[in-house]
Amino acid sequence: MSDTPAMDYNEQLAQLGAEIARLGGLVEAQIASAVDSMTRRDVAQASAVVAMDDRIDDLQAQIEQMTLSLIALRQPAAIDLRRAMAAMKISMQLERCGDLAKNIAKRGLVLAKGEAVTPFNRSIDRMGRLVVDRLKTVLDAYANQDIERAIQVWSRDEEVDEHYNAIFRELLTYMMGDPRTITPCTHLLFVAKNLERIGDHATNIAEIVHYEFTGEALVGARPKFDTLQQD
Amino acid sequence: MTTVTIAAPFWAMLETLPDPVMLVSASSPEDLAGRKFAFANPAARELLRLPGAEGRLLTAVRHPTVLEAVDEALFQRREGTAIWEQGGPRDRCWRVTVRPLGEVGPGPERMALMAFSDQTDARRNERMRADFLANASHELRTPLASLSGFIETLRGHARDDEAARDRFLTVMQAQADRMARLIDDLLSLSRIELNEHIPPLDRVDLALTAAEVVESLSPLAKDRDVALELVAHGRSVIIGDRDQMVQLVQNLVANALKYAPTGSAVRIEVRAGLDLAAAAASGMVENEPRARHALVTPDAGPGQSFVALVVSDYGPGLAREHLPRLSERFYRAPGQKSGVNSGTGLGLAIVKHLVNRHQGGLAVESELDRGATFVAYLPEALTLSRSR
Repeated sequence: MSDTPAMDYNEQLAQLGAEIARLGGLVEAQIASAVDSMTRRDVAQASAVVAMDDRIDDLQAQIEQMTLSLIALRQPAAIDLRRAMAAMKISMQLERCGDLAKNIAKRGLVLAKGEAVTPFNRSIDRMGRLVVDRLKTVLDAYANQDIERAIQVWSRDEEVDEHYNAIFRELLTYMMGDPRTITPCTHLLFVAKNLERIGDHATNIAEIVHYEFTGEALVGARPKFDTLQQD
Repeated sequence: MTTVTIAAPFWAMLETLPDPVMLVSASSPEDLAGRKFAFANPAARELLRLPGAEGRLLTAVRHPTVLEAVDEALFQRREGTAIWEQGGPRDRCWRVTVRPLGEVGPGPERMALMAFSDQTDARRNERMRADFLANASHELRTPLASLSGFIETLRGHARDDEAARDRFLTVMQAQADRMARLIDDLLSLSRIELNEHIPPLDRVDLALTAAEVVESLSPLAKDRDVALELVAHGRSVIIGDRDQMVQLVQNLVANALKYAPTGSAVRIEVRAGLDLAAAAASGMVENEPRARHALVTPDAGPGQSFVALVVSDYGPGLAREHLPRLSERFYRAPGQKSGVNSGTGLGLAIVKHLVNRHQGGLAVESELDRGATFVAYLPEALTLSRSR
């Protein structure tokens, strides 16, 4: 359908936007499901998340193909070119988020084999919800061409970082208290790191959306918390 | 895309529906951008933050299982359902039902109805129940672990150490008592829940009940060097369950005793003949207001008068952010450690259920370092019998 030459350019872009939305929805669901399966120790659900990742890769490849043929056949300029490029860049960010979700699910599978480390379920769950919400908001911003909301996501990155730092400290304390928990806690640390990375991808998407619709890069200091620079 | 024409009253009806409803249409399974919503009522527009009443479906919904349900209804003419969690600050959970709509016409276009129903409460209850079990077992396990630790020590190297044995047995007794208290509270909580929707029938004088409780708690108060001051004004009969009212007063006064510093006083006041507003506001410190939070608010008919029980201590108080969660089971404000002598974390949860059963209200007023006041107010007996 998308490569019918008779189809008008806007219609093709709309198809591309719809594909991004579908991919985004899938990735959102994957992240939520990965975190959920980990906290509830649901092995079947975690395996389903791992298996679904191929679908994400396929969709991403398809979007890339669509974008390439669009650019090759139509040779768009200005906003039209930016929109095509944005679609491709966003799909790549989403694909990375999907990989991170798969990684969380895999760690969930490993964690399910050992003793449950329950005290972190709540904080990980909260962080997961926060990150999914950021991704959702930025994808909403993309779908509705809402630059305000994209800027909102971009400028409110520190909340995720605060969560990550809090979990980081808690995990360290816990591991020092009981060295037998080092293996599961290290996995949890990576889970938290993955979620933080997904938050970064949401921020990247916000930048892409902003550039797509305004032609200008988002500049200026973003509030930032860095674990490496603290104590 | 076909324009949908709907007669005015039906249009108004759809617009007014409290649940989100959408009409979706599509012509081809391959055409992803061709899936549209031809109508979305205000509830749906608010939920999905839609700029208009029609548009592309994928700008509104992205969740994969919801999209699958839509496809099923559109192209296989079969009802599809999906659970969709909204996420974000208003974390609501929806069941989305999509049903094929109308006959398949000559053209390729198909339509389906998409309806959202709120499942948040069911989901929340489920989670609360799981949390409750986990909390209750955790609370029981702590004293149990300490008990078995002491038993092990007594069997091992402390076997012949008489002084240690005595000391250990004292601690073990305290832990066993703590477990017994917790089990008592759990049992009474489940008993109260069982009868929560059966209105009580007896008549109880709250001032007399308070006097009884004060008397029974006075040895404890003497031990802790805290004075109990009871102030009662006139007749204060309510329709209530006697034992439950004793439990209510006892929980509130014991709670205050626990936090009252030595040498201070706990003040218990019973006031009758208040209307709803006055009852809800009783016990308020007027010149320098503290944070106040209503934990239970009754829906009372006009003219209903109340008897209020106001229990104040001059202890450490609570910060504003902890007030709304006080009646949660096992909730402990930070700084309240779960030691041997601490409460079970269920006292106020029990009070809340008791107040609920009696169709009364419960409020708390506090501030850090300025003590805490709890107010339970219950419908007065006289007016209740008159209204019957």
